[in-house]
Amino acid sequence: MSVFYFVAFLSIFFALMTIFTKNAVHSVLYLVITFFTFTIHYILLNAQFLAVVNFIVYMGAIMVLFLFVLMLLNLNKDTEPLKSNLIKIIGVIAGLCLVVTIAGSLKLLETSNPVVLKDPGIGLVSNLGKVLFSEFLLPFEISSILLLTAMVGAVLLAKNETKKI
Amino acid sequence: MSAIITLSLLAVLLLYLGLFKAKKALLPVSLLGLLAAIVLYSIQWDTDAEPLYSGMVLFDHFAVAFSILSLFITGLVFLLSRDYFDSISEHVAEYYALIIFSLTGALLVVSFHNLAMLFIGIEIMSVALYILVGIRKRDFSSNEAALKYFLMGAFSTGFLLFGITLIYGATGSFDLTEIKNYLIANPHSISPLFYSGILLLIIGLSFKVGAAPFHFWTPDVYEGAPILITTFMSTVVKTAAFAGFLRLFLTCFVPLQDFWAPVLLVITVLTLFIGNISALAQQSFKRMLAYSSISHAGYMLFGILSIGAASAGAIFVYSAAYSIASVVAFAVLILVKRSRGSEHFEAFNGLAAKNPYLAFTLSVAMLSLAGIPLTAGFVGKFMMFSGVLANYHIVLLLLAVLNAAMGIYYYFRVIVAMYFRPADREEVTVNANYKAVLFIGALLTIAIGIFPSLLAGWL
Repeated sequence: MSVFYFVAFLSIFFALMTIFTKNAVHSVLYLVITFFTFTIHYILLNAQFLAVVNFIVYMGAIMVLFLFVLMLLNLNKDTEPLKSNLIKIIGVIAGLCLVVTIAGSLKLLETSNPVVLKDPGIGLVSNLGKVLFSEFLLPFEISSILLLTAMVGAVLLAKNETKKI
Repeated sequence: MSAIITLSLLAVLLLYLGLFKAKKALLPVSLLGLLAAIVLYSIQWDTDAEPLYSGMVLFDHFAVAFSILSLFITGLVFLLSRDYFDSISEHVAEYYALIIFSLTGALLVVSFHNLAMLFIGIEIMSVALYILVGIRKRDFSSNEAALKYFLMGAFSTGFLLFGITLIYGATGSFDLTEIKNYLIANPHSISPLFYSGILLLIIGLSFKVGAAPFHFWTPDVYEGAPILITTFMSTVVKTAAFAGFLRLFLTCFVPLQDFWAPVLLVITVLTLFIGNISALAQQSFKRMLAYSSISHAGYMLFGILSIGAASAGAIFVYSAAYSIASVVAFAVLILVKRSRGSEHFEAFNGLAAKNPYLAFTLSVAMLSLAGIPLTAGFVGKFMMFSGVLANYHIVLLLLAVLNAAMGIYYYFRVIVAMYFRPADREEVTVNANYKAVLFIGALLTIAIGIFPSLLAGWL
């Protein structure tokens, strides 16, 4: 339990740091750390597969993409557009709406029973693989069409057209 | 299932044909493939439908009818594609393959029996379209359309996925039968998650069918995309999305009608008014068709609103009538644009004097879209409205009739331009494929209008 509280503290702390840093690149780096603490949460919850995917896809691929884009954009104070008061007011209203929603949902919150897994193997990779290759075999195979479509499309868009329109 | 496998292999075969520079063979091979798929589906018609592959897909009459309709319309679109893609780029084979992939997705959407399949089907359908919309790489409006469609599509997919997740959270299953059983077993203690799930699903699917207030991508995307792709999007994709929408609500959510019907009612009325009023103000024929497709989405939502045994047949006939008429309208637009370089109503001035055949078929299509008797569009509207009337939504019916009157005004503008506005113009050359498509379209529109039982008996 103490591990959970420690990691939860780290998650919240780094999430806040993500918002409050001025430098965009630092902000992304803090976000990476936040995601890393999420990965630890998943492991604590016995969700192996989710932890691995979160680690590889979100932390590894997507956040690095974020970093690259930010560096290419070359953000600094001079290029930042001035935000009008109207936008600030709208932002405050939207934020307060979120607070109201969270307060409302907290009211409805009940303490659940202590987490006792009915099936201790539920988040393990081997079980996921078994479901994927028995019950969900068709969607799994059909996704190959989706990937092939995306691949053909990417090549098509990236290819240089020799004939001018 | 064999039809879906055939189509996937067909697309791969087309890619190989492109690799070996066999451009002449592309069109005949794709048409043959579509024909084979239609035959494979027709064989399945009389067999008892059971969910296949642990309940993933179900090829019942509903699925088979909508699949054959999608295949047929795609065939018409392919016939129009002769010489069309060549002017855009040299990678013609990839375009055919992408359209076939998109069609495969559409077929999955109409035959899903598990929410996972619905999601994958919609994704395959959309991903291929994101690319097809942007194939004019040097044209800014095409780029804009592709980016807009991609962002909006990805966003709406998020809603759809979130809705599916919440429903899974409430029922513990993706299977339509299981979800239905959950609703029947717990009529009074349905989890709040389930309600949020339905709302999110409505939002996600409304995005996909282009219903207001989630329609704002439609006009720009339809206008920016190449006309042939717009044809495909506004017919096959829209039909498939509606079929998926209806299938989900018809099998699962009927017991909760009191909850979602008011939401859908607001969406329907908004869609009708926004589509029709905006269409009145348009100067471009293509943009007018885009807005009219929004308003037709509104009429088709009637079928889901007055959900029942008759709604599948009503949506089927309506989407068939609408798709055939749209294909004809877009085909004439392609020809006129090729000769005059403009999509505006003025470009149609005096068309009747030089090309009476074109003008006649376009008039039939417009009459059908407007819902004039003796055309297929009338039969479709009639079935929709009688469904609404059976549920005593009198006010809704009055609003719909008002909208139909508005529709007549803007559909007749092009007929007036063709017949009563003389203008100097050269004859538009029409190749044999276009003639054939226009003939089939006009013939079917009138045939269904006179003998509605041709289609209405299917479902």
